[in-house]
Amino acid sequence: MSDATDDGGGALADRIDRYLDALREWAAGLYHGLVTHPAYEKIEKEAEDLEDTFMLACFPDAFGIPSPVSYYTAELLPYLEDEFEAWERRMWDRGSMLERKGQQYHF
Amino acid sequence: MEKFVFFGGKGGVGKTTMSAAYSVKCADAGLDTLVVSTDPAHSTSDVFDQELGDEPQAVEGRDGLWAMEIDPDEEVEHHLMETKRALGDQVSAALVNEIDRQIEMAHQTPGAYEAALFDRFVDVMRSSDDFDRVVFDTSPTGGTLRLLGLPDFLEGWIDRLRRKREKSIDLYEKAAIGNNEPRRVMDGDPILARLQERKEFFEYAGETLREHAAFFLVVNPDELSVRETRRAAEGLADRGLAVRGLAVNRLTPSPDDDENGRGARYLRDRVATERAHLRTLREEFEQPVVAEIETRVEEVKGDFLTEVADELDIEAAPPATPPDGSA
Repeated sequence: MSDATDDGGGALADRIDRYLDALREWAAGLYHGLVTHPAYEKIEKEAEDLEDTFMLACFPDAFGIPSPVSYYTAELLPYLEDEFEAWERRMWDRGSMLERKGQQYHF
Repeated sequence: MEKFVFFGGKGGVGKTTMSAAYSVKCADAGLDTLVVSTDPAHSTSDVFDQELGDEPQAVEGRDGLWAMEIDPDEEVEHHLMETKRALGDQVSAALVNEIDRQIEMAHQTPGAYEAALFDRFVDVMRSSDDFDRVVFDTSPTGGTLRLLGLPDFLEGWIDRLRRKREKSIDLYEKAAIGNNEPRRVMDGDPILARLQERKEFFEYAGETLREHAAFFLVVNPDELSVRETRRAAEGLADRGLAVRGLAVNRLTPSPDDDENGRGARYLRDRVATERAHLRTLREEFEQPVVAEIETRVEEVKGDFLTEVADELDIEAAPPATPPDGSA
């Protein structure tokens, strides 16, 4: 950018290049915002939802529902640190299914 | 005869006596035999007049016979410690307390005791290469039935958990478009590995119980015991585990014909009702009656055990096809 100060024949081509670069960046951003991001956000949310049901199936006793297999699933807990934390956060955070599903539309 | 032999039945019918007598019979036939008590109210120690523990111990004065008593409380404690140790290795200090509480709770649920008992007895079966026969003296009917029903139930449960986990990881991988790092990957996922390990454990248990185990029910000649035996036989059959035979214990000896005192009349009446129950057992049950043991005045111990063993009509032959521990 700093060397684009000289004048002459090359200046126009440079300016066109710069203009195209900016356009490309805008287009990529627009595409990302409109298509890519919502897509993987949606998939990731779905994965999180699935993970929540997995956690709930493993540790229903966290909600006072006795589980005959929590003795076995407790073995998994040391390896579920990230999931456990995220699960708890989401459990507290989630107002309703509608709200959760609505989040992806960014109103 | 299968490698693993289970004796079950209502409380107080003489399961311990029968399993001890049968294991004595096997040992006398030249088989290395281990008798395992899974009843929380252990009485195997009393029968052999010897303090027994959680590891197989040679029974004094009997060649080829070992005995042990499973202690589920110790197993629960052990499992708790193992899990907590893994917790310390894996989890950051900030979250340890939170997860620790969850682990503690899981070890105090009603199912924990049964799960521990189950783990232990599958362990015993898995590491029984040194023995030709393993005889299980089980807890009273209800507990045993639930215990033996576990593998099927748990296999299904673990399988569902595994599928859920696989699906969410699969989605995370799909969500990682372009150069993004997926939040979780399938390869080397410790949770999937653990679940798989557990599944194999339950599969082994289910297969061994169905293929390499024989079940006998001990029954007393009275109404309650006969009814419970009927339920137990049906319950086991529902789980694909067939009962091989009924061992009738505590038959009242009849008095001599010329006796007519109060005691003799009592005994005669008693014998008559017991005959009726014995007939029910013979005629209405598919399973053969494999033993008719008379009540003894003395405790069944020592030489009496050999005597009872002689009256047991359960073969002590070695396993037809020895199950390999690797299955």
